[in-house]
Amino acid sequence: MKYPEIDKYASLKSPIHEFDPRAKILTFTFLIFLFVFVSDIKLAAINLLFAVLLLLISRLPLKFVFDRVKVVFLFVLPILIIMSLTVKGSELASIYGVSVTYEGVRYGSLIVTRATAAVTLLLTMLGTMRFDTTIKALHMLKVPGSLVQMLMFTYRYIFVLWDEFSRMWRAMSCRGFTLRANRYALSMLGNVVGMLIVKSYERADRVYKAMISKGYRGTRTPKTMTEFNMMRKDYALTVLIISIAVLLQIYQVILSVEL
Amino acid sequence: MSAITASPSTPMTESFSRAITASPSTPTTENFSWALRVHDLNYTYPDGTVALEHVSFEIKKGESVALVGPNGAGKSTLLLHLNGVLHSSGSRGAIEILGETVDPKKVHEMPDKIGIVFQNPDDMLFMPMLADDVAFGPINLGIKRDEVERRVRDSLEMVGLSGYEERVPHHLSGGEKKRAALATVLSMEPLVLALDEPTTNLDPKSRSELIDILKRLKDEGRTLLIVTHDVNAIPELADRVIVLNRTVVADGTTREVFSDTEMLLAAGLEVPVIMQFFQVLQAFGYPCDVLPLSIEGAVRNLTRTIANGDGHVHLHIHKHTHSEVDSALGKYQHHREAGR
Repeated sequence: MKYPEIDKYASLKSPIHEFDPRAKILTFTFLIFLFVFVSDIKLAAINLLFAVLLLLISRLPLKFVFDRVKVVFLFVLPILIIMSLTVKGSELASIYGVSVTYEGVRYGSLIVTRATAAVTLLLTMLGTMRFDTTIKALHMLKVPGSLVQMLMFTYRYIFVLWDEFSRMWRAMSCRGFTLRANRYALSMLGNVVGMLIVKSYERADRVYKAMISKGYRGTRTPKTMTEFNMMRKDYALTVLIISIAVLLQIYQVILSVEL
Repeated sequence: MSAITASPSTPMTESFSRAITASPSTPTTENFSWALRVHDLNYTYPDGTVALEHVSFEIKKGESVALVGPNGAGKSTLLLHLNGVLHSSGSRGAIEILGETVDPKKVHEMPDKIGIVFQNPDDMLFMPMLADDVAFGPINLGIKRDEVERRVRDSLEMVGLSGYEERVPHHLSGGEKKRAALATVLSMEPLVLALDEPTTNLDPKSRSELIDILKRLKDEGRTLLIVTHDVNAIPELADRVIVLNRTVVADGTTREVFSDTEMLLAAGLEVPVIMQFFQVLQAFGYPCDVLPLSIEGAVRNLTRTIANGDGHVHLHIHKHTHSEVDSALGKYQHHREAGR
């Protein structure tokens, strides 16, 4: 079974991989917020380059990241098109009477660049540690327990559900079912999804019973034994990355003031 | 302490002795020779289907009991009642563990008394990493960190999964998952261990590995209740068999229960293959008063018979041999029985 695993390359060696999980989450989250509030296209481009630089340092295979960024592009590209056509300003071209404006293209590109930078950062962060480590780090960073638990169970059972769905799908294919764009196929697809929901509901019930059989009371996040050791180099790396990022923004501000 | 003095040959496990010495303030623990007592348990599903009716039995400390019954007989439902996860008005006060009535409101206090291993290991392994799953129970019981670590290590070693601490559950094989699920319960060091079909869906090697683990637990003197369809494994694993079909149909030693063909047939069950085979041998004239239940028993039986027969076993065919073979085999062929 092939799973779309986000932490497939978590065992590689790089400074980003060895970065303390909590410090990594804090640093990257800070960077993401810093980058998405940028309003200048040149600065956004520089930020994107910085994000790509971090990605290169992390040694994650580029294809792994690109495959995932592609999916995000599906959602972001329409914005570029819509913005180009709707924002008012100086006309670049006219397509069947609808004008494409310079401001629109600029604004659209800004959004695309910001999104790409943020997603690249996010993938670098998630790709460089095991997902269970991410969850534990979030828990230690005092992220609300119910959120952490939801994330934990989603991660654990998404593969089980995927297997279950694949099994049903294969069983259907073995009996001659092919997905076509007709009413029958759609209603069958609906049945499968419905069955999946029923099965998940029943499984959730069994898992809950197993949990309370093992002393769970639902009041707090299940504790684990993992501990992380923040070392001096983790603090140093945090300060380094954040300062570089902040300096980039300030430098741009100084430049724009002078211009 | 009666259970321990009654069976001095059984090596006392560390957990067992600790559990008893750890609770000197509860005199009830020592006054009861039985570990688990089910008394008039009833359960009806919300849709009106009766699942359990007047179920009563007792299990002694250190006893290993197999619970058999056809599909839908209420075996899994019964297991879920043992720690109060499932409960209804018909089950109130019906279950006692070491003299203490199981209270559905205090299920979270039960794990060190009774551990239940569910049939589907995917329901038991819900944490992102195997070690977290094994540590889950002990941490909930409020056990100290280094003790939790010891238990995780010991439990994984017990089921042969040392070194699997950091493995992700969805990367384990079916057999590994079954053993991992058992480890998550062993780590709570429960006094009574209840397992739901531990050997189903396993390949022969994984099955025999699991049977070995269960045998070891039995030899350590743990109290076991094993729900199973695997009749061939029962003679090795259990001293006693309870047949459940909504209510307790039969309850006795393994031999007693397997001798009652009519009852087994009515419950849709059968006896171990080796026992059937020796019935066939009898039809061929093999002298055998007590049918062996397991391969080991068969070896002993054959050795004895050959020794008594001056180094030979005499088998022969006479006029009625084939009709006797047919009748010996026919007993367990439910489908033919139903077709007639």
